This record gives sequence, structure tokens and C-alpha cells, in this order.
Amino acid sequence: MAEKVKLFVNGQDVEVESGKNLIDAIGAVGIEIPHLCYHPALGADGNCRMCLVGIEDGRPPLVPACKTMAVEGMKVQLDTDKIKKIQRDIMELELINHPIDCPICDQAGECKLQDYYMEYDGQKSRMTVPPVAKAKHMDFGAGVVHDQERCVLCARCVRFTRLITKTGELGIVNRTDSARVTTFPGRPLANRYALNVVDLCPVGAMTSKDFRFKQRAWFLAKSESLCHGCSKGCNIYIDHNKEKYKDDIIYRFRPRLNQQVNGYFICDEGRMTYKLENDNRLNVAQVAGKETSVNEAVENVRRVFSQAKKIVMLISPNCSLEQMQAVKKLATANNAVVSGYSDGYIKTGDGDLFLIQDDKSANRAAFGLLGLDSSKAGFESALVEADLVISFQNDLCRSLDDADIAKIQDKAKIVYIGSYKDGLGEIAAITLPVAAYSEDTGIIINADNILQQYDVAVRKNDPAIDLLQIVTLLGGEFKNREEVLTDLSATIAALNNIDLKHIPSEGIALTDKEVSNVAA
Amino acid sequence: MQVKVLSARFDIPDAHKIEVAKENGAYATLEKVFSMQPIEVIELVKQSGLRGRGGAGFPTGLKWSFLPKNNQKPVYLAVNSDESEPATFKDRHILVLDPHAMIEGIIICCYAINSHDAYIYIRGEYTTQVKVLQAAIDEAYAAGYLGASVCGQDYRLDVTVHRGAGAYICGEETALLESIEGRKGQPRSKPPFPAVEGLYGCPTIINNVQSIASLPFILTNGADAYKAFGTEKSPGTHLFGISGLVKKPGMYELPLGLPLLEVIEKVAGGLREGRTLKGIIPGGSSTPVLTPEEAQTVTLDYESMAAHKTMFGSGGIVVLDDTVDIVKLVENLIHFYHHESCGQCTPCREGLGWMLKIVKKIIGGNGTTADINLLVELCDNIEMKTVCVLSAACTMPVRSYLNKFRHEFEAYVKSDVSCQTAM
Repeated sequence: MAEKVKLFVNGQDVEVESGKNLIDAIGAVGIEIPHLCYHPALGADGNCRMCLVGIEDGRPPLVPACKTMAVEGMKVQLDTDKIKKIQRDIMELELINHPIDCPICDQAGECKLQDYYMEYDGQKSRMTVPPVAKAKHMDFGAGVVHDQERCVLCARCVRFTRLITKTGELGIVNRTDSARVTTFPGRPLANRYALNVVDLCPVGAMTSKDFRFKQRAWFLAKSESLCHGCSKGCNIYIDHNKEKYKDDIIYRFRPRLNQQVNGYFICDEGRMTYKLENDNRLNVAQVAGKETSVNEAVENVRRVFSQAKKIVMLISPNCSLEQMQAVKKLATANNAVVSGYSDGYIKTGDGDLFLIQDDKSANRAAFGLLGLDSSKAGFESALVEADLVISFQNDLCRSLDDADIAKIQDKAKIVYIGSYKDGLGEIAAITLPVAAYSEDTGIIINADNILQQYDVAVRKNDPAIDLLQIVTLLGGEFKNREEVLTDLSATIAALNNIDLKHIPSEGIALTDKEVSNVAA
Repeated sequence: MQVKVLSARFDIPDAHKIEVAKENGAYATLEKVFSMQPIEVIELVKQSGLRGRGGAGFPTGLKWSFLPKNNQKPVYLAVNSDESEPATFKDRHILVLDPHAMIEGIIICCYAINSHDAYIYIRGEYTTQVKVLQAAIDEAYAAGYLGASVCGQDYRLDVTVHRGAGAYICGEETALLESIEGRKGQPRSKPPFPAVEGLYGCPTIINNVQSIASLPFILTNGADAYKAFGTEKSPGTHLFGISGLVKKPGMYELPLGLPLLEVIEKVAGGLREGRTLKGIIPGGSSTPVLTPEEAQTVTLDYESMAAHKTMFGSGGIVVLDDTVDIVKLVENLIHFYHHESCGQCTPCREGLGWMLKIVKKIIGGNGTTADINLLVELCDNIEMKTVCVLSAACTMPVRSYLNKFRHEFEAYVKSDVSCQTAM
């Protein structure tokens, strides 16, 4: 625990963490100091002047809170007439050259200028002269659109490209009220994290080409989830909306703070994987190329399952821990072999030192925890004599070429139980749609052995059956997810002391030792 | 009234050349300097009472003593030659007419603060000055006053000239450091102060050209000789640039403490025939204006200016007579500071442009009394809310014109009202 210091805020005793600036220290106990340019991941810049606070007996008596560390005994004044007037004055100056085009601005509803105007300003415009005209809808590249007139020049985006991605595409040119954020000629934003500037922008100056004009922020339900784009397990918000007479649709992913996983950011590729959740979905069951009802498909799966002599259950590294355990137990009960073979999910060399991982699956670490084999040799030996391959979300076509798949088809029937229109779904004898992770609850373990839980975000009008239910229908021993969790806690040594039913939002870091002990 | 301390060699032909400068006393004091301990040099400068000549008037010796003790990092000297304040034209004379006085001063200062690298940040527009200065530095290197062994001592000193690119803000000491480091010239938040964390993160002293050029005289003749000029709290001499509507505008060296009006009359030749005094800008465009009544009792020193709620500034005196339109003067003034705002802090970036547009509106005959009141309020709203004092350098004088010459603003507003009713 960090050391505590006692401050006086507006005359009241407040105990805060030392070593933090006043915005973070006082903010942690629920007292807001308005600010535009400061961001905890980008440090203090001190340009917006919105966080000026009074320090009683201080030298100087007026300081930017972002640049001032909390010190024992400090008397911070936020509610004096002087500070309130400064906040109002700064807001007025922020707004005189702002287009105030909230009705057509995507940021409306989640805009600091709007929020602060309501909270700290509220006065009528005194602007009787023409505002400064600047460039609008500039395509900055990487799907980022910039509006210079809305910009408050807080330089968060500039600092992001300098400090975080270290690519430095953005800068502020010109002085005075001609100052503007721009790119170098012919050098657009070109980094794999560029869309974070849209989240970082406190106003509507940076918008996402993909998202803009699609939804108003206040209509969006913001559900917590985990990105499944790679094995980092970045924490996200799934912003979705079910409009009247329409289905529940995801409009964007946004990063959600988790200091031990992804910090404040996510990569652009992961951010765009929301599209897979909406489109490219396996929506209908098929038997021998013909559309059928889900019930009929389930019956067909049950029939081939009971008739098969030797079954290979192919599990995806994207399945949740619970799904893997249920499939594993089902296989054991039916003398089937489970394989997690999924080499095609790994793009060697694609990862970087920040968030992006080579492994494009979310839960491969659970293979180790549950002792599931994912080697090619293991899969090939399991195929010998097999007459049924049931894939649980595993798109084998990513790992094998057409010829290899054809060879398997010669000997065995392929059943695909999945959420997406993958290659395997196209050719399987039976396809059965199940809920995707955005519609389901589950546990995944990321590349750094951090165990996290995601919950149901999207509720479709016609919800797909979840994968655990299918396993139950095939004769699996667990009636529901709770039973799987109980079993996991009881049988997996690394999870013995973990309450899987109450996983903290920041996740649980498993030690390498715990994971390898069980896998061995 | 005029004296010859800083300007002693100004009238000597070719004094910018090292032989001529040396014949007339340049570099003569260095032997004495190197026989002293650095701390003794600092003490002597403290005793002389020399105050920073860049405008703020901070005691030079005291500034040097703020350097951290037991410092392991290099110490830098940055000489501020970014003289850009409107009505200020003193340092340019030193740079062209006696650059060796400044180089000698740099050697003295660096020895005192234990610095081996000095940067001269020179205003980009000073193209003539930079040539003369660089030639003088080259001469000083050739003569062994700069380089690996200064005056044969075991003391290295390198001097680098860094040309600005034309931004007034780079005269602000931390913006100056940013610019030397190759970044956009924008002031840094303080603390940390440059004496602790300045150029390249190292302790740095930033002194004005005239402060540095004053050092050889002090070291040669002692603190008392320097204090013989000026007043108790404002000792020494100063290069005053007197401009505006006087008969003999120009640069004059004067001891501090002389009566302002007497100087204008006797040194600058007084007002043109038939004209009356409207006001005096005492120390560069950023200092609040003095009315003729206030000017009666003002003397040219820091304490008298402060007592009259203005500032000594940079010694750039501008005399305004009855032909001056104060509202247009204010427009010109805000135009300058608006143009030169670095654009970093919201109040200065947005506010000065707003003020300029309001003044233009008033001049255009579309102003109202509310606009005048808004100008006054904006001065308060902007001032001292920013990282540096550029915005205050605009709002302080503007407020003084609004307070002392409000009737001129109202005349613009009222003439418009009568026009409208006539229509």
C-alpha cells in the first residue's frame, strides 16, 4: 500500500495516496478536479489550465493540480469564488472558437467540454466577433478523422504518438490561435494503436471513421468484456445498442482500464474485431448442406455422436476455461480424444513489445492448465481410426490446407459447433451455431497467466444456444456453468484457492509455478 | 547626464575587433578573475547590486547562487540575446559595437558558476549582429580567450551561438531552452526552475546580454565603483532606448535613478514643437503606461517604477504625444502579443485573439460599452493563469490604457451610437 498523506480539501480532512498529483490523489477519493490535457498514461502537460486550484498559504497560491504533488498538510481550495471563476473563465475561453456543433458531433454525450460547461460554466456566450476558422474532417489515416475547430489543443494525441507508440506522426504547428494538430505532409497516422487517440481526445476533434455518425453515445449500452483478438486479453467496453424493432448490434469496442493487463489502451486490430461479432456469424444450423432447425441439428449431432466408433474432439484456444473443461470431461466419458491443435491461430512475428501478441487466440494458456494437448503430432495420432471429428469453435482450416482437410473428410465426419462462418463451418457435415463470447460468460487466461472473466454483453433477439448447453445435450456431466466452476476449483490444483465465482475485475495473476505444476 | 560604462568603447572605431577592443581594455580583467575563487566572483557581483537587465530586474549574483550545491551535472550558461520586445533596442548595440565586452562577461560568469559551455541565443532577425558576434567569438578563440584553455588556465570554455527563428516567446527563458534543445519554443512549467533543471536537464543560468556585459566593469573596478552609479536598490548604469515622439530618439547610457521627464527633455530633446505629452511607456511595450501627471514624480529605477504601479522593464522608453490614438496603439499592442503567443495555454492562445477582435470591432465603429467592459474583464481572466507571463505582458499594459484612457475608447463607441441615431 502506498503511503498516505492528509490534505485539507475545501477545509475538509482527506486522506490520499502520496506521490500522486492532486488530480489523481483527490480524484481517488471522489473529488473531481476538472482537466483536459492531463491523462494518467501521458503525464502532466499543464496547457489547458482547467485544473488550476488554490493552495492556502501556498507559494504560489494558484497552481495547476496536474503538476502539483499531494503533500502532507496541503490546503487545497476548489470551492472558492476565485477558483470557480477561473474554471468558468477557462471554459469560456475554450469555447469561444469552438464550433459548438454538438448536434452533429460524435463526441456529444461523452464530451468533456459539454460536461464541464454544465458543471463549471453555464454562462451565455459573450462572443460577438467571428471565431477562428480552421480545417474540418481531415483524414489523418488509420481511420482517424480530425476536426481542428473542435480541438482544444490539449496535445494528448500528440503525446500519445510520442510517448506510447513512439511513432510521432502528430504535432502542433503554428502559434497562438492558429495552432493546430496536424500530420507531416504525406506522413499519415500509421501505427497499430492509432485509434486510441479517438478515446484520448477529450472533445470531438478526433473521431473514428468507422464509428462516426453511426450512433449517439447516449444510446449505447456499455458492457464490460475482454477482447478475444489475441492472447493479451485486453479489457474492453462493448458499446452496443438494440434499437426498436432491430437486433442488438455492437458499434464499437473501447479500451477499459486494467493496469495489470492493457493499461488504458487496445490495438486497432483488436478494436475492429467487433465486426466479427456482428457480421460473419454462423446463424443457421445445417445438416449435409441443408438448413435445418437447431433442434434437428442437435439431434443429428447426438446421433452421429452415439454411433461413432472413435471420436476426436477439437477444441478452440478461444473457448473459455469452462467450455474446455466440459468438453474434456465429455471426451473422457466417451473414450474420445481432445485436441487443441490450432497452429493456424499463431502468426509468428506479428506481435510487438506492447500489447499485440503472436497468438491470435484468447485462452491458449488454459490448455496448459487443463493438460490439453495441442500438438500437431497429438492431433494426427488421434485422427488414426477416427470416424468423427467434432470441432468446438476450432476452425481447423486455419491450421491445415484443403488437401489435409479432404483427407480427414475421407475417413471421418466433421461436425462444427461454432459461432462464426469459418472455413470449417463451410465444409462440415453438420454445423451448429452457438453463442459468441460477446453473448456468453466465461473465463480466459491470457498470455501472462492472468485469469479474467467476461460476461454477457449482447442479447440477441434470437439468442444462440451456448456451447456448454450443447455439451450437456451430448451427455456432458455438468448441468450448468456453476457446476463446471465447482469442478474446476476442486480438480485443478492451481485453482484450488481461487473463488472462480467471484473473480475481481482486474483479474487474478496465476504464477508460472501454479500453471506449470498442473500442466506437468 | 550620459555616462560611459557599458558604452565606453561604442564610439571607438572598429571596437568590435579584438585588437582594438584589447587596446581599450577588453579582457584585461581576466587575470584578476582567475586569481579569485569562483565564490568570490559571485560575492563581488552580489555586492555590486547588479540586477538582471532583461526586464525582470532579478539580482544577478543571487540568481547564480541558486545553483544546486554538490552538483554532479554540467552547468550551462545561456545568454539571452533574443531582444524582441517592442521599443527595446539596447542589446543590439552591445552585440555590434562591443561584442568582446559580452564575451569577457561570459568568461567571468562561466568561471563563477563553473560552467564550461555557454550558449548565446540570438534573435533570428539580428542578421548583422550575429555575423559580428560570431566573428568576435572566432577572434576570441584564436586569441586563446575561449577554447580548451582560457587565458592559459586549466579551464575549458566553449561558446555556441544559437540563432532563433523569429519567435518573441523564445526570449522567455525556458522557451529559450526548449528552442536550443531543438523543440518548439514553448515555456516550461516552473518549478523546476532552470537553475536546478534547465538546458538538457542540467543546472542553467540564463542572463541578459547587458547583464553579462556589465560584469567586466564590476570585476575591474569593484562593486563600489559600480554602485557609485544609480540608487541604493538600483545601482549601476543602463542602456535606455528612447523612442516615440521626441526630437532625439536613440540609445543612451544613463545611470539609474534619473527623473524620467528630465531625461526626456535633456537627453532625448523633448517633445516636438507645439505638442503636449499624453503618456510614457517606461520600459518596453509590456509595461503599464504612465500619464503625464504620474510621470512628474517617476525616476528611472526599479523602486520608483514599482511605486507608480508599473515596471522598469527593459529600458525601452516610448514617449506618446497628443497625436497618438491610444485605441489604435492598444490594437497594435494586442496584435503583437496575440501573434507571438506560443499557443500552449488556453487563456493566452484564445483570449488574446478575442481581445484583438474586440478592439478591432471598437475601432471599426461597431463597439459598445459592454465591449470595453469585456476587455477589462478579459485582462483579469487571462492574466497569471498561464505557464509564462506573455499574456500578462499584454494584459498589464492594456489594462493600464483602459483605465487611464478609457475616454478614448468611449469616444469610439459613442461616435458610433450618434451615427446610428442619425441614420
